[in-house]
Amino acid sequence: MLKSRKILACVDQSPYADYVADYAAWAARKLVLPLELLHIIDRHQEISASTDHSGAIGVDAQENLLNQLTEEEGTRARQVRDRGRVFLNSLRQRCEVDETLSVDTRQRYGQLLSTLEEQQQDVALYVLGRRGESAAHTRRDLGRHVEMISRQVRRPILTVAGEFIEPRSALIAYDGKRMTRRCVELIAQNPKLNDIPVHVIMSGKRATDADRHLQWAKDTLNTAGFTVETAYAPGDPEQEITRAIGERQADLLVMGAYSRSPLRSLILGSRTNDLLRASQVPTVTIHL
Amino acid sequence: MNTIRQEWFSNIRSDLLAGLVVALALIPEAIAFSIIAGVDPKVGLYASFCIAVVIAFTGGRPGMISAATGAMALLMVTLVKDHGLEYLFAATVLTGVLQIIAGWIRLGELMRFVSRSVVTGFVNALAILILMAQLPELIDVPWPVYVMTAAGLGIIYGLPLLTKAVPSPLIAIIILTVISVVVGIDIRTVGDMGDLPTTPPVLLIPNLPLTLETLSIIFPYSLTLMVVGLLESLMTATIVDDLTDTNSDKSRECIGQGVANIASGFMGGMAGCAMIGQSVINIKSGGRGRLSTLSAGVFLLALLMFLGDWVSRIPMAALVAVMIMVSVGTFNWDSIRNLRSHPTSSSMVMVVTVIVTVSTHDLAQGVLSGVLLSGFFFAHKVGRILSISSRSEDEGRIRNYIVLGQVFFASADRFVQSFDFQEVIETVRIDVSRAHFWDITAVSALDKVVMKFRREGTEVEVLGLNEASATMVDRFALHDKDEAADLLLPH
Repeated sequence: MLKSRKILACVDQSPYADYVADYAAWAARKLVLPLELLHIIDRHQEISASTDHSGAIGVDAQENLLNQLTEEEGTRARQVRDRGRVFLNSLRQRCEVDETLSVDTRQRYGQLLSTLEEQQQDVALYVLGRRGESAAHTRRDLGRHVEMISRQVRRPILTVAGEFIEPRSALIAYDGKRMTRRCVELIAQNPKLNDIPVHVIMSGKRATDADRHLQWAKDTLNTAGFTVETAYAPGDPEQEITRAIGERQADLLVMGAYSRSPLRSLILGSRTNDLLRASQVPTVTIHL
Repeated sequence: MNTIRQEWFSNIRSDLLAGLVVALALIPEAIAFSIIAGVDPKVGLYASFCIAVVIAFTGGRPGMISAATGAMALLMVTLVKDHGLEYLFAATVLTGVLQIIAGWIRLGELMRFVSRSVVTGFVNALAILILMAQLPELIDVPWPVYVMTAAGLGIIYGLPLLTKAVPSPLIAIIILTVISVVVGIDIRTVGDMGDLPTTPPVLLIPNLPLTLETLSIIFPYSLTLMVVGLLESLMTATIVDDLTDTNSDKSRECIGQGVANIASGFMGGMAGCAMIGQSVINIKSGGRGRLSTLSAGVFLLALLMFLGDWVSRIPMAALVAVMIMVSVGTFNWDSIRNLRSHPTSSSMVMVVTVIVTVSTHDLAQGVLSGVLLSGFFFAHKVGRILSISSRSEDEGRIRNYIVLGQVFFASADRFVQSFDFQEVIETVRIDVSRAHFWDITAVSALDKVVMKFRREGTEVEVLGLNEASATMVDRFALHDKDEAADLLLPH
């Protein structure tokens, strides 16, 4: 997170774009990093809108068809581009209320996943909506969308589910294993965030060494200047973490994501997806 | 997962509609090409069904239409005439096997030696051959045939001006069939040309002895079929790539064509390949995904099953009209307009490809002549990039020759002739450090020059031979790529 260079907010033309932009702007201010608003245009070249079913080909059929398709696609591309530009500029104005923030906008052709992967080098944190125009609409697909991106890009991803509420406290879903220890370390590496109190909640199977694990998390975060509260809540992580969020009024969830292999999570299901579905607060998933 | 959804189900409505339009146009073509090959229409129709359905899954270019084609039909005429149908099926299977091997060893990459002019020649020759194949139906026939053909063409090209919602070739066929049945004109119909399919194709193992003799009969045919099938398929794939602004997997396409032909051979069909005209129709009608190809094949068979009786009553004149349309749509008319503006060598390559193809009825030979001729022209052009200058030094005792440019088989003679062997001089210095010696011919030409000077009692010094002959290395790829670029810059 330290070495990389920008916050990348992926926006599409849906109401969620505002929330995504707000959270991204907040993260950029907190971490003092530039913000880039990315609008991905999937040209859907595999879809055609032809209404010509005459099936007749005459002189210069191929050339005429090529010219016609080039013309049509060019016109469409220009329209989409202009609409996207206007949309991005209005978002940029929304984010630029705070003048210290540097906001850039970019439109790219391609598909969401491959575009995010290409950008990975320069990105500190991705911000995207858990629903939206391009995100799948059903609850079942909700997690898979984030899962695919998480497995491809090795960067923290902040997914946003609703309107912006400035996070006053964060909750780390912790199980003492490698992936969640990385979460704690990553937070500790960013002392700029230490005005946000952190709850570390350990859940999952009953473990004998829970205290030791929690103590390690607490020490690590304390060293970086965070105010830390730890708790041990054995049981089903989905229920326990959701309850802890409610009880402690945390408004940011941080968790290690997709530690299971794709095959195992296909059979056993994915805890990350369960949690993403259950929790309504913005969530940072870390899969490193 | 994503690609499967994208290639199959992202354009369902347009794909199905386009598939229907293509199927309706495929029926007359498959019948016409069967007649060219000298087999029953059902052979071509079964082939079109099998190839379209199989290639939908195995092909490397979604949205391209493959079926029984004229280019392939022309190559099997003598095989069918001399040996019979069973051999055709066996040859079709062998063609498929060869195409899979070709795809596997990436033979498709050789397509880069097929220049633009050869491709244009190929397409034009194909259009001419399709047109010529219609002549038997137009020569020595009663006058109503001419009227019907003309009327058919009128409908095909006139109707789209009124509405583009229905396939005009289909309307032309329906109207002409109804008229000929109602009026009772006695002209040839599709039913007169041989059997039409009445059942879906069944598995059919060619009843042939598995001997070397069988192989020696079918192998030459399969080899040509393999080459022509891949040539047309890869050219069509490039055309579809351009039209849709997307990429295709050429090696997968070669293998896919092979699998499709094997399936066709075992289902009583003839060999086929991608079709330029049909693919353009498919794209024009909105077909983009694999579903368009699949539905074209399925609709084709379904239509035949339901309308079999009616298909046999279609007058040949209606088919001829459709095939003339395909020929006109396939021909590259720009190439006629460009004959004057393009370099003579390019135009000649195109024209020679057309002439050789049309006279041999073999696109493979046409393309081979075209490729050889373009290679010849290229060697000739590059061979002219050679200049040799000289000046005398040391009060006329030494002459310094400086060689610049490309020395290889096409320029070796000019290289030798540029030296003045009659000059009375003590020493000759040949600086070849800024020349490139491409082959053995170049080196032996230099040897010859050295020997000739020595005979005159002249001392010869050759400078920079190592740099000059570095280009003789066959495999540049072994070196760093930048090194290959350096080779062509002045040393």
